[in-house]
Amino acid sequence: MSLRTESLRTRPSSRWIIALALAAVVVILPTLAAQTSKVPAHTRAASASDPATAAAPMKSLGNKNAPITMEVFSDYQCPSCGNFFEVTLRPMINEYVAQGKVYLIHHDFPLQMHTHSGDAARWANAAAKIGEFQEVDAALFDNQNAWSANGDIEKYVSAAMSPADFKRVQAILKPCAPPAPTSRVDGSAPQADHACPVDQYIVQDIVLGYQVPVKATPTFIVRYKGQSYPASSGIVTWPILKQFFDTLLSQ
Amino acid sequence: MTTTENRGGLGRILLIVGRLALAGIFLFAAYAKLKPQAAMPWSGASIRTSLSMFAMQVDSYQLLPPQLVSPAAHFLPLFELFLGLWLLSGVWLRYSSLVTTLLLGGFFAMMVRTYRMGLEINCGCFGPGERLGPKTLLRDGSLLAFGLAVTMGAFLLHRSRGRSGGETSATATAVSTPQRAD
Repeated sequence: MSLRTESLRTRPSSRWIIALALAAVVVILPTLAAQTSKVPAHTRAASASDPATAAAPMKSLGNKNAPITMEVFSDYQCPSCGNFFEVTLRPMINEYVAQGKVYLIHHDFPLQMHTHSGDAARWANAAAKIGEFQEVDAALFDNQNAWSANGDIEKYVSAAMSPADFKRVQAILKPCAPPAPTSRVDGSAPQADHACPVDQYIVQDIVLGYQVPVKATPTFIVRYKGQSYPASSGIVTWPILKQFFDTLLSQ
Repeated sequence: MTTTENRGGLGRILLIVGRLALAGIFLFAAYAKLKPQAAMPWSGASIRTSLSMFAMQVDSYQLLPPQLVSPAAHFLPLFELFLGLWLLSGVWLRYSSLVTTLLLGGFFAMMVRTYRMGLEINCGCFGPGERLGPKTLLRDGSLLAFGLAVTMGAFLLHRSRGRSGGETSATATAVSTPQRAD
């Protein structure tokens, strides 16, 4: 008998290794198979650009004909979204949106776990209706900690616009009764107050988010030359996002 | 052939299968990161775009300073490709499997840290679009265990060869993998 064939034969450790390897294979293969059989994210994400389901265009910044379009699904009360706005979106708005390179679309995806995020989305949408979205969007993220603690969103919205405009926003939201629509963990359609003129936009965004699918906020999709790139979640810093944009623009 | 010989042969075959599986996983991981992420053909531009997308995933882990994110994102897929090919070749299996296991250990530690921090990000393990969560942690933990098993098997095989004084047999050679200079 060969000595080499004895190498792994009777050692308890080798049996243990074989068992460990088999157990690992049992776990790894199904998850890898699930990963490879998934519909490519960019195929699904492409639905976000469908004009029939797209959010109200007033919640967008920049030139509609910019080469890059970025759609962000965000929750005004989510700390990561606030961080993403301050660290990434604000410099991006000041640079690439201002230069006409990027068209930024905001989609509301208020999470059920956040008490005031649905109300904040209502304020933002009402402000968007009178063309004051950018100011209110920034004010909500800038003061996120303050209004998240006490729910006094009104204070910061009023500070972001003239008293006359604030009255118009208040008038839009007058028929809106609580609760404001939020996304559901089970993916079911959110309830909208039909008397509230902005709820339909929030619901539309949430349903669109389900289609992407948005699993966490912030999530964003980038489109360039008619191609949708897979959705990304979490905070990406501006230098790295800018690098990605520059790569696209250099094609 | 005795039962013990059968067991030894089975162990060696499992080591080959494990090595090839690990190579396949790493080659797939590299492919998933380098392939065109939108409906476009393979080209230098598509690879640059894919690597830039991967850089965003690396960045979202909030582990590296911005100046290191891009070099890491360009290095990792190519290193995975290299490791996959190295494992496939079977050359110096002890070392290739050890490096692979250390890399898997590093990935796993990074994922656990991120999960504990509560960051809701994409894993970036096998391309974009996969959320980091319990399922991906279980999978990558299993991959680490699998890599560890292959590494231990490779070291055991090497040790037993050392004891045998380099003696070989036709049976062993038939099922053995290339072990040049191992």
